[in-house]
Amino acid sequence: MRTVSREGSVAAALAVVLLGLAGFAPSFYQPMPLLSLAAREAPALVVTCGMALIIVSRQIDISVGSQFAVCSVCTGLLLAAHYPPALVLVACLLVGALLGGLNGALVAGLQLPSIVVTLATMVSLREALRWQRQGQFVNLPPTVQWFGLSQTHGQILIVSVAVLILTVLAWAAKYLAAGRYVYAIGSNLEAARLAGVPPRALTFAVFVLLGALNGIAALLNSVQSLQVDPKSGTGLELKAIAAAVVGGIAINGGRGNLWGAALGLGLLACISPALVFVHLEPYWERAIQGLIILLAVMADGLPVRRRRLGDRPRAQVQS
Amino acid sequence: MKKDAITTASALSAAPRGLAWMRHEPGLFLLLLLEWLYFDFAGPGFGTLDNTFDLLRHSVEIGLLSLAMTPVILAGGIDLSVGSLLGLCAILFGKLWRDAHLGIWLAGIGALAFGTFGGLINATLITRLRLPPLIVTLATFSLFRGLAEAITRGVDTFTAFPESFLRLGQGQALGLPTQVPLFLTVALLVWLMVHRTVLGRSWRAIGFAPEGARYAGVPVENRTALTYILAGAISGLAAIIYTSRLGQARADAGTGYELLAITAVVLGGTSIFGGTGSVHGTLLGVAAIAVLNNGLVHVRQPREAAGVLTGLMLLLALSIPRLAALARRLIERLRGPIL
Amino acid sequence: MPAPLLRLTRISKSFGAIRALREVSFELLPGEVHALVGENGAGKSTLVQVMTGAQQPDSGSVELDGATLTYLTPRRARHLGIACVYQHPALFPDLSIAESIELRLEPIAPFRRVHWQGQRERARRLLKQIGIDIAPGTLVRDLSMPQQQLVEIACALGADARVILLDEPTASLTQREEHLLFAVVRRLRDHGAGVIYVSHRLAEIFALANRVTVLRDGTRICTCNTDKLSEAKLIQLMVGRELSAQTSAPRPIPDHPLLSVRGLGCAACGIADITLEVRRGEIFGLAGLIGAGRTELARTLFGLTPADSGEIALNGQPASVDSPQTAVRHGLAYVPEDRLRHGVIAELSIEQNISLASLSRIFPNGWLHSEAERALALEQVQDLDVRPAAADALVSSLSGGNQQKVALGRWLATEPKVLILDEPTQGVDVGAKSELHKIIRALAERGLGVLLISSDLPELLALSDRIGVMRAGRLVATLPGRSNPHEVMAAAFGQTVVEP
Repeated sequence: MRTVSREGSVAAALAVVLLGLAGFAPSFYQPMPLLSLAAREAPALVVTCGMALIIVSRQIDISVGSQFAVCSVCTGLLLAAHYPPALVLVACLLVGALLGGLNGALVAGLQLPSIVVTLATMVSLREALRWQRQGQFVNLPPTVQWFGLSQTHGQILIVSVAVLILTVLAWAAKYLAAGRYVYAIGSNLEAARLAGVPPRALTFAVFVLLGALNGIAALLNSVQSLQVDPKSGTGLELKAIAAAVVGGIAINGGRGNLWGAALGLGLLACISPALVFVHLEPYWERAIQGLIILLAVMADGLPVRRRRLGDRPRAQVQS
Repeated sequence: MKKDAITTASALSAAPRGLAWMRHEPGLFLLLLLEWLYFDFAGPGFGTLDNTFDLLRHSVEIGLLSLAMTPVILAGGIDLSVGSLLGLCAILFGKLWRDAHLGIWLAGIGALAFGTFGGLINATLITRLRLPPLIVTLATFSLFRGLAEAITRGVDTFTAFPESFLRLGQGQALGLPTQVPLFLTVALLVWLMVHRTVLGRSWRAIGFAPEGARYAGVPVENRTALTYILAGAISGLAAIIYTSRLGQARADAGTGYELLAITAVVLGGTSIFGGTGSVHGTLLGVAAIAVLNNGLVHVRQPREAAGVLTGLMLLLALSIPRLAALARRLIERLRGPIL
Repeated sequence: MPAPLLRLTRISKSFGAIRALREVSFELLPGEVHALVGENGAGKSTLVQVMTGAQQPDSGSVELDGATLTYLTPRRARHLGIACVYQHPALFPDLSIAESIELRLEPIAPFRRVHWQGQRERARRLLKQIGIDIAPGTLVRDLSMPQQQLVEIACALGADARVILLDEPTASLTQREEHLLFAVVRRLRDHGAGVIYVSHRLAEIFALANRVTVLRDGTRICTCNTDKLSEAKLIQLMVGRELSAQTSAPRPIPDHPLLSVRGLGCAACGIADITLEVRRGEIFGLAGLIGAGRTELARTLFGLTPADSGEIALNGQPASVDSPQTAVRHGLAYVPEDRLRHGVIAELSIEQNISLASLSRIFPNGWLHSEAERALALEQVQDLDVRPAAADALVSSLSGGNQQKVALGRWLATEPKVLILDEPTQGVDVGAKSELHKIIRALAERGLGVLLISSDLPELLALSDRIGVMRAGRLVATLPGRSNPHEVMAAAFGQTVVEP
């Protein structure tokens, strides 16, 4: 019940913003800039899907930005070396999965807290990359931009791939048993274990999945310009977590769905252009983002507060 | 007080407790010693007084934030907004001085007040509204930085501070860089608070078992709120010192500092779940990171090496107790059937 | 006589020094409802744990359908058709009933397609079989605890279990839900399953069970047909006759009330209209079945849950107790039931635990002094004979009895006027138990008022000067301390109401 209303409210908020734009800044709705915006945000959407699943399983991964940067550079280097795109795709999936697997092994295998593990991998990966690249961009051959298609077609392809991934993962989260197991371990780990679900293997798998999604996102991002910036991905983890939380994914796990997270991303992504078009200075974007996250989590917190003092559910009376 | 999932000891994460933390600080101290000796030997210009002063100057702000973070994590919470709050306070400090024409002292007090207020916002959301600290401070992380950017319109910086003020960050007092005695005072106060007061003991109890502490009559919400308010105040102080060291107040001041602070705290032996930990451990953690950063420059290594090594140090600090526990259990199980 | 479904032969189990089961034999026939009764600590839970594979017996054998089970684990037990419905359901709060049931019943197959419609249908069918009318799409977190228990039973139904254990299933069910449960149990029995019914509620046992096995102090006292037994006889078998040895001579209690409670009620926790008095030097025992509301009363008195109505007066002064801190300031102390989670903080040392509730009092300016703290702790450690007597030792390393002493020591260090003890000897071995009894008596003699909550009737009768009996959230009787145990049990079960 609650989750339905949450997606509903995010959709409503997004609708308000979009309607506001339609009213005050109809030029926002020109197809080309809109498509460009969608293509720019497509990689973030892919990553948000993975992050949403991680949070549902009651973990977190703040190294996503660094993973993204590493995958981007690898992708760029392979593309620049004229490897066939199919091979590059496989390669970036593997690199991403490997990086995700590193986090997964430490969290699931050694049972270390995910926030500290991913903090460490975030710093290490980012600095290692910076060391290697020294800020140097990777120049891409013009033939690979937009996958060799025209800009419009390339953007449509990118957006379609992202939406396809969202659809598939959202479907899996609802209709595939493995997806439900992720919710199960996020909701009650012990009950899941009792039911036979292997919590550690599953947690590892979700981290690997996020890594692989990072790889795809990096590819989708790299082909949009002629250069790969080794600093790309900065702030990606914040964006993904914020989108997920705004979209109804509960930080305590077990709740929320990917469509909500996508809507959350949409809402947060619309702030910047909305600001431009209503002539509010763009530097208010981050502050407004923070406010939106706060509002979202406060809306989450209200029903919880009713179950206050004491740690037993109301109806349980003992002794 | 509701801990959020990420920093709660979930069934998947086993926190090493008890004796583990008592062995941590000596090991870290040894590491620090080895670092120092190595860099002193291998790096020309490392062990000099000038360099040491430089090292100290550069580590005070992160040191302050790490001190601020220690009670927060000890009591089972987390605060990702301290770096952003530093930036916001720096900007507000500059604005009070330059545009509101308050004297530098008043502006300083204003900055401290803003920091405390920022901490109060976190405290209220976390302890009164019972919202998860990770997300709340993630939101305020954005909000504070965003406000700093908005106030400066992304471009404005504050410079041309008076000489007397710049001496705080760039001059000397008592034969040390000026901010060092200040830092040591704060460090001492925080140390006393954590290790020698009733407040500190209650933080530990809350970190281990918030419900257990409640049953023992500890005012859990109030004491937890205090950790966030204190963190905010210290962020304000760090903002002033930062501005004075750089001679400039910018909106991006303190970017990334919260993560370094958390790294120093966890490296120093404080458990991310709360309860175990120490202020001297945090100081050792800060020192280890600072010496590493500084020393690597002197042995002609790029500064990125410091980042990589810091990350690895953190992973090792976490993994070693777990691996040791696993090894012990393996040995027990191998021994078992034989007996 | 059909072959037994489940047979346990001469099961013994000890936990350290505590002998939980002594050569207990038990048999469950198909198509039978077999009740298991006994006081808390009689060994019922341990026996249940052996049956479900959660514990391995030290000696004795378990047979299912004649085949001996060598190393039973909970997972294997479920495979073999042994289902247990615990008081704490293992469901998924954020998922729906239907999904929780499916996760529990379906074998693990990650790439299986989830059919929501089918899932809902199956859940609806199972819920209908039980007779409860809840939408299968309801989230588990929106269910009350009793409803969650019924869902657990639905899981057992769905698993086609042949041996079904129900552990205190009606502890917090309403009348209507109870009827539903009975109907389910009868249906299970009629289908040839065997139901083991662990309960304190004698009326239910006589209504449902074919046979009843009585445990006392880890030994099987008897297994009888319920139609050949009367309630009074059953109570007598449960309670035994060892009371006389422990009772001391009645003491005169001056009429100086330290704690006066008038009309106290707390809707959220289910207690209403409680009126009682604890006098100086008195041990006021509080008897009642599980679910009667005794712990809820204690928590309300101590300020953990706010009272909606009524008044509390401490030492003659009216007191509004809205938090544990206020309670402590008024001289109230509460040693809670859940020792490990609430009574002590296991990761702290003995010394740190003992001083925790007294810190503001002995260090009013906020500074800790290790000598003063050590002295305070050692005083309690010596008085209570905590072993090992090392103030630095972590409480997690102590035995249950010693942990309880530390929990008690924490509160005695606050120099309380009224001490509430909630199941102080639960899970504690016989030696420590009698030590604790001596301590409690000494406290009363010193002039404290003690409110003693205990499910151990002999203990309650031996220690208490007066006994209040709670049932369904109300205080239904106040009896003198040397009462007949049958009178106390009768009031607890609701058979006679004695005017206080």
